[in-house]
Amino acid sequence: MTAAHKVKITYCAECGYEQQTLDLAKALMLEFGSRLSGIELIPWEGGTFDVSVDGQLIHSMTRDGGFPKHAAIADAVRGRLSA
Amino acid sequence: MTIDRARFDQGLTYDAYKAQMTRNRDRLEENERRVDLGKEALAAFRALPRPVKVVVLAEDWCGDVIANLPVLGRLAKDSGKLDVRIFLRDQNDDIMQQYLNKGQFKSIPVFVFLDEDFRELGHWIERPASVTEVRAKRRKEIFAAHPEFGSPDAPVDQLSEGIRVRLQGELAKMRDETTKFANAEVVRELREIATRVAA
Repeated sequence: MTAAHKVKITYCAECGYEQQTLDLAKALMLEFGSRLSGIELIPWEGGTFDVSVDGQLIHSMTRDGGFPKHAAIADAVRGRLSA
Repeated sequence: MTIDRARFDQGLTYDAYKAQMTRNRDRLEENERRVDLGKEALAAFRALPRPVKVVVLAEDWCGDVIANLPVLGRLAKDSGKLDVRIFLRDQNDDIMQQYLNKGQFKSIPVFVFLDEDFRELGHWIERPASVTEVRAKRRKEIFAAHPEFGSPDAPVDQLSEGIRVRLQGELAKMRDETTKFANAEVVRELREIATRVAA
């Protein structure tokens, strides 16, 4: 049975981060298609831009600063897919 | 670049800014209606010896703009002493670069107070530190009172959707309860800058 792999993007909805959220979601959709079971977009607040893959926090704006490089998130997804 | 008369005149008036908003205008206007400037503070603005110009950087998606720009808007309207011109942050990066928060963040709103010769009296960014402090304390109290919300530092995506919605509700309630304090702090800080204008 194929394992389900999910990406969650939590973004500050009061900070104008919609475009970065959509860009990242689109990049993941185009690269991984149905190999991901879902991409969840969570509107939040407080300057948040967090990305987790299968519950593991890959990027946090608070912790790591700035927006993530798409390649870093894609690498993390690839790592989960091949695990 | 220095803001001169020609550049100042390119900015939007408060009403023109509201007219071009594509979202959150209802929230901004609700805050405008709710803000209580206080008689003494309003009298201090009305007593300014000369009108003060205020350059504003804003965007309509920003929560701090929605909360704090209406305070400035009401001060301008009710005192008749502030000439406000608003510039969209993402179309005016040259101004933004002069007023980065902590020298690196493009935080908004920015209010730059200028005298009639366009000399800067002072500027104000985002929100009062006292408001950030009070809300951080209240946020910690919410998490302490609701163990189901987990750690305040944990990623929110680890919470179930139901818990997340409840947390969002508690945070919104807390912000609402601290709005009166926040508005009073904004008025106090803006008054301190505006009253630097020489008699």
